Amino acid sequence: MVQRKEIRVALAGNPNCGKSSLFNALTGAHQRVGNFSGVTIEKHEGFVDYGSYRIRFVDLPGTYSLTAYSPEELVARNYLIEDPPDVVVNVVEGPNIERNLLLTLQLMEMEVELLVALNMYDEVEAEGIEIDVKQLQRLLGCHIIPTSAKKKQGIDSLLDHVVRVYEGDIEIKKNKLAFRQELEQAVDTITGMLVDEPELGKYNRRWLAIKLLENDKEVYNVVRQYPVWVKTGQALQQIMQETATLYKTDPETGITEDRYAYIRGAMQECVRFPREKKQSLTDYIDSVVLNRVLGFPIFLFIVWLIFHMTFTLGTPLMDGLDSLFGQLSVSVSPFLPNETLRSILVDGIIAGVGGVLVFLPNILLLFLGLSFLEASGYMARAAFVVDKVMHRFGLHGKSFIPMITGFGCSIPAIMATRTLKSPSDRLATIMIIPFMSCGAKLPVYVLLAGAFFAPSVAANVMFGIYVFGIAVGLLTALAMKKTILKSDSEPFVMELPPYRWPSFQSVIVQAMRKALMYLKKAGTIILLAVLLIWFFSNYPKNPELDAELDRRIAEIEMTVTEEGQKEEAIAAAENIIASEQLEYSIAGRAGKLLEPVIRPLGFDWRIGVALATGLVAKEVVVSTMGTIYSLGETDETSIELKSILKNDPGFDPATALSLMVFVLLYIPCVAAVSVMRKEIGDWKAVVYYSIYALAVAWIFSFITFRAASMLL
Amino acid sequence: MLLSDLNVGDKALVKGLHAQNAVRRRILDMGLIAGTRFKVLRVAPLGDPLELVFKGIHVTLRKSEAAGIEVEKAGENGDAVPMGQERRKRSSGR
Repeated sequence: MVQRKEIRVALAGNPNCGKSSLFNALTGAHQRVGNFSGVTIEKHEGFVDYGSYRIRFVDLPGTYSLTAYSPEELVARNYLIEDPPDVVVNVVEGPNIERNLLLTLQLMEMEVELLVALNMYDEVEAEGIEIDVKQLQRLLGCHIIPTSAKKKQGIDSLLDHVVRVYEGDIEIKKNKLAFRQELEQAVDTITGMLVDEPELGKYNRRWLAIKLLENDKEVYNVVRQYPVWVKTGQALQQIMQETATLYKTDPETGITEDRYAYIRGAMQECVRFPREKKQSLTDYIDSVVLNRVLGFPIFLFIVWLIFHMTFTLGTPLMDGLDSLFGQLSVSVSPFLPNETLRSILVDGIIAGVGGVLVFLPNILLLFLGLSFLEASGYMARAAFVVDKVMHRFGLHGKSFIPMITGFGCSIPAIMATRTLKSPSDRLATIMIIPFMSCGAKLPVYVLLAGAFFAPSVAANVMFGIYVFGIAVGLLTALAMKKTILKSDSEPFVMELPPYRWPSFQSVIVQAMRKALMYLKKAGTIILLAVLLIWFFSNYPKNPELDAELDRRIAEIEMTVTEEGQKEEAIAAAENIIASEQLEYSIAGRAGKLLEPVIRPLGFDWRIGVALATGLVAKEVVVSTMGTIYSLGETDETSIELKSILKNDPGFDPATALSLMVFVLLYIPCVAAVSVMRKEIGDWKAVVYYSIYALAVAWIFSFITFRAASMLL
Repeated sequence: MLLSDLNVGDKALVKGLHAQNAVRRRILDMGLIAGTRFKVLRVAPLGDPLELVFKGIHVTLRKSEAAGIEVEKAGENGDAVPMGQERRKRSSGR
């Protein structure tokens, strides 16, 4: 086999410039998704074999600029500095070339080996925009390749030029943007000082100087570590003062203005827009969708539609999966004569992991919908429409979609917070999602509300629980933003991209990726947690109970003659023994140990155990209660469990309400917690959160229990 | 005057920025620099944020962020009532 030469290429570009589509068109199936080191920003890598080369692409996060203000921009530029690629392909959105060139200029400042892909060139032609590519190449000092990721045009030419840039086989001379005289002098002065510091070798000194003048915090912190800072710092201060007094501005604004001035010049020289700009489709759609009267109802309708689609299409699939796992348990059991092994596999693994896997169709469908909204351009409009409400609680317009996704399931909701760019917005949104009552908590409400309230009241109780969750969530967000998360909310200075019909492939790929993340979770941490809880609620075994069961069965065999009655009696005996075994197990003992803590909420040890097992998945609370209150298979519609609870002296409507509030607010299931950990990237935050959730749950349950005991 | 004082439909010219830090940077990156002519296209259904259009791109920003941009009216006046008052007016008219 021939040894291929490797070329490492980074794709840089604005959000919505079609970078990801181009990345897909370039690399096809050879892709891998990971994270940039230390952050939860997705890193897409892929390669393509071209001639005798293997070209490896890294898709950098979409950014407008390369400042230190957003994590995306920092990641992108740090990647270019720390791990410099052989070639940087700057993807430019053709129809929006002017704003896109700002990033191009900043890449030029870093003096990387640059190549521009003038993407969406088909749209440029369709709109009648004329671009003098040759002249623009001279001005930017690099090759410009017209491409269309959608129509797969210009791909080979781009690859060909990547190789040429790599081999140094280009005829275009690099160009440098010169700032206005006083700034240029300042840049030169600082650059001259920085050159004396050999430790800064991996940086382009001129770029460092520009960044220092731009007041870039990160670069400040880098340069400050070296002795050269003494001189540089003084010089900088002087320059800042001079520009402030002489030119009534600061270098940062001046530098940006000069970049735009250069761009304006380039646009005048090389780009002709058609004189009559006809009203575009985007304008028409927006005049309806963002209409002052219709905007909000339309927004609600679209959100409703997505969820409706998710659940009407998803539920049959979910039921199908559910019965499939049921079948699996039934058909596997006979092959496992060893009782312990069977219990692990059937009651532990299949029940636990299966219970998580059944949500897969819903997750896939939801993300198909969300990816479509995102790629079509509506998502930015949705944020625009609801931002006012969200902002009042310290959140961002983009927090809304993850928040309501939380009503279905916290896991996709937490994953959907990736659209939020500011870490503090993201953290706040992740933290409130579990308070949006998820689908798995519904069985608990149905059981309890159904058992203790008349049907007409039960519906109101359940509705009240949901509203209460939203209120606690929003207040939590507000409190966090006012205290620990004060810093850097993301500005709402955003672009509304033109509507585009998303490519089928990229929407599918996006949704599949999320589904895979979810599957991976189910296979690892959830499996472990399920096994642990299975163990805790089954061990230690009380051998006396087994003997007792045998004795009782023998007695029943003797005394009861009719077959049907006999079976029933045996089942009842088995349940009683199972319940006693649970009491004997670690979980049961822990429950008893915990009893004093939960007593003020109206809970006894049995509810404690049910709540603990509910950490696997919230619906498990119901099935555990079934076991403890000595019933066989239980679900929320079980009339028997309802009547048992009703007749239990330790249970009254106040307890039921208190328990519903507790289930609503306490620590989310292990799956959600592990996704939280992954998305936040820090166990400590998750632990604090769990303590917070427990405290909130305890306090509100206590209030509920006391108030309800007095009133009801 | 400040951008937040403009009405829907107004055309204006950016004079300078008071905004600081991330907001300032983002405004600059979007191209709202001194000398840029823009139009206030609309307000969100709930009254905030605003949508501006300039150089063929559409940019949104909250009123609080718009208050960090010094502008000067240019071209013909807008045809709508002041942004902050529109809602109040409508509800009091009912």
